[in-house]
Amino acid sequence: MSLNEKFRTITKVKNLGLLTTIVLIIIGMAIFFPRFLSPINIEILGMGFVQEAIMALGMTLIIISAGIDLSIAGVMPFSAIMVGIFLNNNFGITVSILLALLLSALVGFVNAQMINRLKVHPFICTLATLTTLRGVNLVITKGETVTGFPPAFYFFGQGRVFGIPFPIFLFAVMAIAFTYLLKNHKYFQQVYFIGGNINSARYSGINIDRFIIFIYVLNSILAGIAGIITASQYISANTGFGIGIELRVITVVIIGGVSLSGGKGNIGGTILGILFLAIINNTFVQTGAPTYWQEVVYGSMLLIAVFLEEYIGAKREGTGVLKRWREFML
Amino acid sequence: MINYILKIEGISKRFFTNKVLDDINLKIKKGEVHAVVGENGAGKTTLMKIIGGIYTSSEGKIIFDGCKVNFSSPQEAINSGISIVHQELSLVPKLKVAQNIFSHREPVNRLGFIKWAELRYKAKQILKHIGVDIDPSTLVGDLSVGMQQIVEIAKALSQNAKIIIFDEPTSALSEKEVNLFYQVINDLKSKGVTIIFISHKLTEVFKISDKMSVLRDGKLIGTRKTKETSIEEIIKMMVGRELGNLYPDKSSHIGEKIFSVKGFSRKAKFEGIEFDLYKGEILGFAGLVGSGRTEVARSIFGAEKPESGEVILEGKKVEIKSPRDAIKNGICYLTEDRRNWGLFLEKTLRQNIIAASINKFVNKRGFLKNREIKEKAKHFIDYLNIKPADDKILILNLSGGNQQKTLLAQWLNAEPKILIADEPTRGVDVGAKAEIHKHLRKLVESGVGVIIISSELPEIIGLCDRIAVFNEGKITGILEKDATQEEIMKYATL
Amino acid sequence: MINDKAKNSSQLIMNSSSGHLSRLKEILDTREIGLLLIIFVASILLSIFSENFLTFSNLTSVAIGMNYDVLLALGMTLVLLSKGIDLSVGSILGLTGIITTMLLQAGVSILFAVILGLLSGTFLGFINGIFIAKFRINPFIVTLGMMAIARGLSVILTSGYFVSNLPEGYLIIGQGKFLGIPNPTYVMILFVILFDYLLRKWGPFYKAFYIGTNPDAAELSGINVSSIILAGYVISGFLSGLAAIFMTSRLAMGYAQFGLGAELKAICAAIIGGASMGGGEGSIVGAFLGVMLLAIINNGFVLLNLSIYWQGVINGLILVIAVTVDAIRRARKGKSRV
Repeated sequence: MSLNEKFRTITKVKNLGLLTTIVLIIIGMAIFFPRFLSPINIEILGMGFVQEAIMALGMTLIIISAGIDLSIAGVMPFSAIMVGIFLNNNFGITVSILLALLLSALVGFVNAQMINRLKVHPFICTLATLTTLRGVNLVITKGETVTGFPPAFYFFGQGRVFGIPFPIFLFAVMAIAFTYLLKNHKYFQQVYFIGGNINSARYSGINIDRFIIFIYVLNSILAGIAGIITASQYISANTGFGIGIELRVITVVIIGGVSLSGGKGNIGGTILGILFLAIINNTFVQTGAPTYWQEVVYGSMLLIAVFLEEYIGAKREGTGVLKRWREFML
Repeated sequence: MINYILKIEGISKRFFTNKVLDDINLKIKKGEVHAVVGENGAGKTTLMKIIGGIYTSSEGKIIFDGCKVNFSSPQEAINSGISIVHQELSLVPKLKVAQNIFSHREPVNRLGFIKWAELRYKAKQILKHIGVDIDPSTLVGDLSVGMQQIVEIAKALSQNAKIIIFDEPTSALSEKEVNLFYQVINDLKSKGVTIIFISHKLTEVFKISDKMSVLRDGKLIGTRKTKETSIEEIIKMMVGRELGNLYPDKSSHIGEKIFSVKGFSRKAKFEGIEFDLYKGEILGFAGLVGSGRTEVARSIFGAEKPESGEVILEGKKVEIKSPRDAIKNGICYLTEDRRNWGLFLEKTLRQNIIAASINKFVNKRGFLKNREIKEKAKHFIDYLNIKPADDKILILNLSGGNQQKTLLAQWLNAEPKILIADEPTRGVDVGAKAEIHKHLRKLVESGVGVIIISSELPEIIGLCDRIAVFNEGKITGILEKDATQEEIMKYATL
Repeated sequence: MINDKAKNSSQLIMNSSSGHLSRLKEILDTREIGLLLIIFVASILLSIFSENFLTFSNLTSVAIGMNYDVLLALGMTLVLLSKGIDLSVGSILGLTGIITTMLLQAGVSILFAVILGLLSGTFLGFINGIFIAKFRINPFIVTLGMMAIARGLSVILTSGYFVSNLPEGYLIIGQGKFLGIPNPTYVMILFVILFDYLLRKWGPFYKAFYIGTNPDAAELSGINVSSIILAGYVISGFLSGLAAIFMTSRLAMGYAQFGLGAELKAICAAIIGGASMGGGEGSIVGAFLGVMLLAIINNGFVLLNLSIYWQGVINGLILVIAVTVDAIRRARKGKSRV
């Protein structure tokens, strides 16, 4: 079992590393910027990253299944725009939201169908829907911003539940549910079989196609929710929403320890990843450092996280044999 | 009236226009161990996949336990009581043993949440039933291949299988694990479970089966009771003709020393490996799976790094840091795993034949010499009798034997001085096997030094002039050609 | 999977032994011919509906528009071929453009600034390659990181402002013409021909096909896998740098957001041209035609006064169609498989 123990130590240390870094930043910030731990700032911290956080829940499932979904960056503005249009046409808030989410789900369904039927890499399928959707968004809005949201709609981005901003509350509830479901529910557990060994999944009688549909639809709906929240926050919707967000979401998930080759990872790691980037993001706000640096820091963090995991981890196992090529390539 | 648990009546299977199975009729009794043998491409795996619901048959019917069945998915077959233990293990390495045994059939509560304690308990029970002590919370990836195989069996048992189909169950097991496996099979048999298994190892088939059926070119040639037949008869049925001498003649002339390895060590893998190779001989590496033979070969070849040791070729010490260095020096390694490490399945036969020697087919400025490549490919296709003789066919369309010949061509083309062939006939049918042996012998006669790594003792004894026996990372003995199986096993398990 | 693309590329380097007719059939069955036909039909339709299409000035402007994307798609094809991906091409383009133009503003001579610009693009590609080929980290993650870093640095360097007031001599690179055709177009065509030739005939490049198909087997076959993978990213970085120089000199400024989203366009074009995410496939001429198809369709939108907003939709749909056609073709070829 020594290998087993070794493996566990490495995974533990890895999460520990992330956790330690987070704690250190928090302590450092709390010392130099007392404001940092004030309730107001914590709220700013949460709200600054809540869209990414919500989408990261679904992306975790997608990446564990050895897939990827770029189209969320198109779905998020799409849903924001559609809900605006429906509201402007007096569909009522409930119906508008449901319709927007239904349309978002449809995008996920199309993704899944392409992946299942054409047997093409999810990267390409979702790249195609992303490109198409961005175009669709422009066509619908003619590049203009959608406005005219009724005040009752503001709740989803600005309202409060038990004193907590609604988006954060919603995320917290979903995060708890996702953690528990992924860990313990038979249906959700299928993702580990599909990502870990697709033949095993097939021979165990798992309906792979249906599960792929499930996770891509789920992921799209989450992106749709993020879009609605954004629209409600800004009381407007435009095609500029969500540019680059797919990459931030993927970064969060990867930093959280989900492996792109599938079969490995959990929601807990993703939540740590979210926390980490949210704090970095907030640090910039608090220190008044130019926000331009954010992207550089995100990128470096991603590289460092993966470097530590993959390279140092492999070295530590001490076999002296580098990973086989196919283990890490696309 | 004999109680047949499975009756196969007139099963045929076509892939597009190609008939892979042709009117198969087979009856299998309850509690019988029934072996299915045949050359590669004879249709064994396809037949098993039809029984197991992975493929559907084009014609014919299957009667299982008195009822006509028509499975459209593996799940239906499993539910009815037919489980397959696949050739490529179908386990998820990153999940626990218990989760793998009960994959997708975990005990759940009404809301679909998994009852972990019950899952572990049930897994423990089943493992105990087989008689192995594996902690159900261990990750499958941390188990040895043999133990993983046992987990597969546990999985089949947990499905309450009445028939378990094994596809080449022992090809990756160590000797000890093989014995455990035989025990489990006997145990299952005594409990009334019917076993069908496919194997290339005829000695094994004779050891554990009650009956055997021979397939050739998609047709059932015949079924024999194991006690009433002989290896010679079965081989004849498999290849459709008598094979003459199974192995080529041994070396007539052993020349000077051409290659030696001194003091090769790598922590936890092998230690103090030393041997010499002489012109005109085939040196065999015998030993159990995991005894370090492949690691030594890969280290000589530069694919892994030894911690100490040197390689002397034709009296000169050579530095090898990568496979490239090795190939430049004329040391070549034919891998045991042709699909993952050897061939380029989606490339053409021609491209595969030149894969290890592209640098020999370019001019001074690095441009490819297409005419030479074409001629060379044609030469090897003729020489090794690769079929179909179309140099533009994709390798994945070739049978196992022809793929293996392509791999041999790839390395012959690199013009080796020393060729280390790791399991050169693994998963290859009897006919192609004899051809490969003949070519290896020819190669030696032309002055190339050849080392064969094989887990099949008859092959080692039949083919090699000297045998180095490996045991837990050390060479425990170097035997002459008249060594017996018992002698080799003694050194290998000492 | 059977893949015809792999077969085609191999056939191109080999003389068919089975008669001229079947050879002809094979050539006609290639992706490149299919693309060419589609482009041809699209051009005919466009010239019917718009008299402006077949004018010299329009075609020149199409060619100029293609130029940057072609350079990026060439690099992308090489990278995809060796089982990788490069998401950072757009950002490297942006950053290299900023570096070059800022050097020029600081008074560095044109030749020197261009050389330093190209070197910096090459260097960024080299960093990608080191992480991927030496440390063996997933190329998607590495280039995703590089994408963020390079874009961030461009914004930091310029604080989001334009870099303008570039010397006249520099502008000639992108704006100058020879025989009425813009300079960059010559360079683009030269690179397409050169890379296409090298990929089919030159040993070191040809090995990339093997690496993409089975990198582990390639390593054991004595192919220097890490060097060739590294070279792919270096070339991709260099070509992004070259595109940056053409773009900044053509538009007479540097801007941090240049090349935004260009990586997706380049991947699109490479895939349409026959590359596969699985590696081991790809065609330079195919990628070139892929860019051309996208460019002509975009041009059509402009000429026919259609809303340019439809472009994205059409580009996405083209990718869907390309992928579908490929899937169908694979299934059809699968018939030969037993």
